[in-house]
Amino acid sequence: MVLTDLRQGQKAVITNLAITNEVVKQRLLHMGMHEGEKVCVKCVMPFGGPVMVEVDGQYICLRRKEAACIGVR
Amino acid sequence: MSSYIALFGNPNTGKTSLFNNLTGSYEYVGNWSGVTVEKKVGILRQHGVPIVDLPGIYSLQPLSRDEGVATDFLLTEPCSAIVNIVDASQLRRNLHLTVQLLEFGKPLIVALNMVDVAEKRGVKVDAEKLSRCIGAPVVPVIARTGKGTKELVRAILSLSEQSGEREHVAIDYGQDVEAAVQKISEQLPDDLLASKRWLALQFLEGNERIHAYLQTYMDIAPLVAVRDEAQQALGRPLAEHIYDARDKWIVHAIETSTVIFQQKPLTLTEKIDAVVTNKYLGLPIFLTFMYIMFMLTFDWLGSPLADLLDQFFSGPLTEWLSKLLTLVGASPFIQALVLDGIVSGVGGVLVFVPQIFILFFFISLLEDSGYMARVAMVMDRFMEAIGLNGKAFIPMIIGFGCNVPGVMAARTIEQPKERLLTILLLPFMSCSARLPVYALFAGTFFAKNQAIVVFSLYVLGIVVALGLAKLFSSTLLKNESSIFVIELPPYRMPQALTLWRSTWDKGKGFVRKAGTFIFGGSVAIWLLTYVGPKGIGVSMDDSFLAVIGGVLAPILAPLGFGTWQAGASLITGFLAKEVVVSTMNIIYHAKDMDLLQGAITQHFTPLSALSFMVFVLLYIPCLATVATIRKEAGSRKWTLISIGCALTIAYTISFLIYEGGKLFGY
Repeated sequence: MVLTDLRQGQKAVITNLAITNEVVKQRLLHMGMHEGEKVCVKCVMPFGGPVMVEVDGQYICLRRKEAACIGVR
Repeated sequence: MSSYIALFGNPNTGKTSLFNNLTGSYEYVGNWSGVTVEKKVGILRQHGVPIVDLPGIYSLQPLSRDEGVATDFLLTEPCSAIVNIVDASQLRRNLHLTVQLLEFGKPLIVALNMVDVAEKRGVKVDAEKLSRCIGAPVVPVIARTGKGTKELVRAILSLSEQSGEREHVAIDYGQDVEAAVQKISEQLPDDLLASKRWLALQFLEGNERIHAYLQTYMDIAPLVAVRDEAQQALGRPLAEHIYDARDKWIVHAIETSTVIFQQKPLTLTEKIDAVVTNKYLGLPIFLTFMYIMFMLTFDWLGSPLADLLDQFFSGPLTEWLSKLLTLVGASPFIQALVLDGIVSGVGGVLVFVPQIFILFFFISLLEDSGYMARVAMVMDRFMEAIGLNGKAFIPMIIGFGCNVPGVMAARTIEQPKERLLTILLLPFMSCSARLPVYALFAGTFFAKNQAIVVFSLYVLGIVVALGLAKLFSSTLLKNESSIFVIELPPYRMPQALTLWRSTWDKGKGFVRKAGTFIFGGSVAIWLLTYVGPKGIGVSMDDSFLAVIGGVLAPILAPLGFGTWQAGASLITGFLAKEVVVSTMNIIYHAKDMDLLQGAITQHFTPLSALSFMVFVLLYIPCLATVATIRKEAGSRKWTLISIGCALTIAYTISFLIYEGGKLFGY
């Protein structure tokens, strides 16, 4: 399953970050998005817009394209 | 060269607030990541020690221009100690930077900020224990209120007095990495500012900035070989391995020093977000906010206040001044210079101070509450469609205040292409200096719909900017992908004092400009109207200004304002856009707004007034903005493109409006 499969309010654990863009990946790592962390989808913007997630008390907004590369369980 | 104390920390942890407390300065603060984009030097109050505030970073590996400023500081500037500000409610993430700074080897103090926020969220950090774990002093502070500043100053002073060896807490990265660190350290030259272990570790981690830095000193190939070898021995990426070793150490430090007595989510932030970032309501709410801002600025509150001020300037103030001048026996020349030149020119601009302050108040509110980053999120989908990202919207909003800080704020955008694009489209954001022009013309010709007319001008600026962005991103600059990741800070109740300071800070630039630039400009413009090719004291139409403006008049005629007066005010408007109004005041001999409005109704029709406002909105970035674009884009070519685009687009749109309007019979 990937992050975009989660509905608003659903929680999961990150299993892998298969993001190809190195800058995005580094940013997410710096902000605390690591394998094994709990993630919760807070809201999803319309028309394929970005998603807002919470990781370790931190709110992060990323695009759906990248969220689809984050495996969760 | 004096040695600095440097302030490091994650974005949005309160570095600048702390800096202001320590130095007594009023640098710009806000509640989103990337408020500070350039290093700022201050002096520690009463102790004369220079302190540097740096842009926020997550790690010493820079991903954007502003972050590069922080890493470069470590590499090139002497610093005697580091104050690392750490958000107590986000310890784990924050300590990753602390570890890297500890490895840098300079004396370090941790300023543990937001202990109050952390406690509200159910996290209590024992500063004593944390200090023992990380081997550096830890001082709890609350940067927003200034609590703990005294203790921090004391700790800083005692630290810089010792300035000797510090007990090093070195993380053991395991045999393979340590061996590689050893090998690299041996090859590094001795005359570098930074510690060898730190350089070696940053290099192994893949820090490109360090890579480039070492390359200027030595042949990098042997180091790369060492790195590849270590990676092979580990069987996994070095960066991951190093991160995990640090994380283990950090988790241990947190477990020993922190009590989590209650896991509480950010209820207030969640509740607000449920509304303002709602799938369907997000965009309408933002637009409503902007609409209220404009109505208050131009209609409900701003205009009545501006009228009051205008009455004061044209009435009592002018009377007093003219009496005073007669009393001291000033010559008619001086009297005319003061009353027709300075009072008209400077007063004509100062009248708009209330409106500009209201606008700045709203921008400050956006910045300080935490809504700014949400706006970026709400706008991202839209911005993506034109080849930009939501983050670019933040400089655009700042640009509504003044384009110069807007261009600077583009530094937080990671991709060079998106950053350049954002810089190029910023001059189309209608800054506050253009506001007096709209207020004057819209107030004269569209008094009933003033706010709507002005609102449409702002929208027009945005539409042109975005259209241009689309054009550039699909032609000249299409070979780079667009990315978007942003941290959303928790909401904070904006404090009255911070809001006022922030508003005043932006507004005082406008007032100061009126006192210096526009004052000088008014004198010069008046003199140009007073002397002409035929001598001194000529009638206005024979003056030098008329000659200069007259050159432009035929070119501007198809736009509906082919008079030398319009030409002259547009030329002077390049210095600063509000000078357009100053010049008109002087040219039309207007003592107050009513007289000026009367004068311009004789020279403009509603249609040509609209065309003129559009032209002023778009025609050219002001002098200060051009200089900033040149510096930030680092390219003369792009600066010229920016000016050229602006002139072409302004001329075309104004032409279409005027000639089109005439066809429809206006």
